[in-house]
Amino acid sequence: MKRGVRFFIGVVACLAACTVGVAAATLDEFRGVIASIPVANESRIMAALALGQRSGFPADETYRLFERVAGVTGAAADKEAILLVVVEAIESGLPVDSLLNKAFEGLARGVSLSTLGHLLDVRLRLLEGTSDLFGRCRIFRASQGAVVAAGSTALAPSVFDALLSNVGDALGDYVESGGSPLESQRIYNQVEARLTLLAGTAFSADDVELVLSRVEPADLTRVVLAALS
Amino acid sequence: MSLDARDSLDELLRETLRQDATGASHAVAQLEARVLETLGDRAPRRGLWGSLKALVAPTRAGRWTQLAFVGATACACLLVGFFLGDRLPRDRSPEPVALTRAAVPAVKTATAEASDQNGVLFILPAPNARVVSLVGSFSEWEPVPLTDNDGDGIWTTQIPLSPGRYEYAFIIDGRWFGQDPSADDYVKSFGEYSSVRYIGGGGGA
Repeated sequence: MKRGVRFFIGVVACLAACTVGVAAATLDEFRGVIASIPVANESRIMAALALGQRSGFPADETYRLFERVAGVTGAAADKEAILLVVVEAIESGLPVDSLLNKAFEGLARGVSLSTLGHLLDVRLRLLEGTSDLFGRCRIFRASQGAVVAAGSTALAPSVFDALLSNVGDALGDYVESGGSPLESQRIYNQVEARLTLLAGTAFSADDVELVLSRVEPADLTRVVLAALS
Repeated sequence: MSLDARDSLDELLRETLRQDATGASHAVAQLEARVLETLGDRAPRRGLWGSLKALVAPTRAGRWTQLAFVGATACACLLVGFFLGDRLPRDRSPEPVALTRAAVPAVKTATAEASDQNGVLFILPAPNARVVSLVGSFSEWEPVPLTDNDGDGIWTTQIPLSPGRYEYAFIIDGRWFGQDPSADDYVKSFGEYSSVRYIGGGGGA
């Protein structure tokens, strides 16, 4: 390819990226999609979306999921249940990337909305449990001006969210593949393998070591059991 | 006839018979030697086919020889089949060709080389497939088409991916295929398998 053509494509790509960056989904657009379902908890959903926009959640991906859910044939209550899983994650300050991914996959595979809602709910419980576990292990998301107690570790928000998301998602994969919650070591090994393979991407090998040194296999079993109960 | 005369006659007869027997055995021995010599001169030389026929033909002491011959032939056929089996072209199947583990490193090498410049290379051997696409976490599970421009049944696409973990599956003529032989791992979601690829990091391409 000639250099001029490459340059032209690069400029167009940059402009497109800038346009996408500016054109994040607005609350009005969300309201329009939600109204087309329609939902019973519109005010709660909109409040959560506003909160999410302030905390920098992936608005565009969330909007596209809402659009896709709205376009699927099914009961409005089942559609709303899926939206509420995402909404609850935003309200709890949890990363929603893994939930969005599973929701997109489920819709693409043609999974029934009720089944999808249930499986997403389990994954949300696993994320919540993992977040609580991190807290018990004295691993926190760093926030401006917060004082970190001795023995505790505050990680950058992006690092904390990536670790949390991957541990929760690994637990979700384990559960969905039919693994027993009582096999603590197997669960731990699965989490360990995933974090180790991702060391050097969103988080470092030291971050992985921090989590693996503070989390015990039995802790993961407790998280899984609580999510399934 | 007197007793003496009879004795002398008996003696004469015995002598005559002894001489005849000696001469006959000598003649027989000479005849045998001549016959063997003649046969040796005239015996046709066995070619390969003759040797094979001789081996197969029923003989008194040939049973074990025949068994050994049949066994050796069977072993030779098996060996020839074994060596040719991997080299001869196989029938084309409508299913995606499951790459052996030995073939995977070649795919992985191509993937690693391609990831530096134009994105991560996804390859799927699917002879006779009409439409192949790729869905995954990088595309919000929306189909990305694969192409087979030279018609060799190898479908490819390149996708720019930042470091991380990606789940994906191929869709071949409408059917999901979630077990890519060149994947780093597999997960089961919604009762179906998805492939996993790690880019960068501790285990990525």
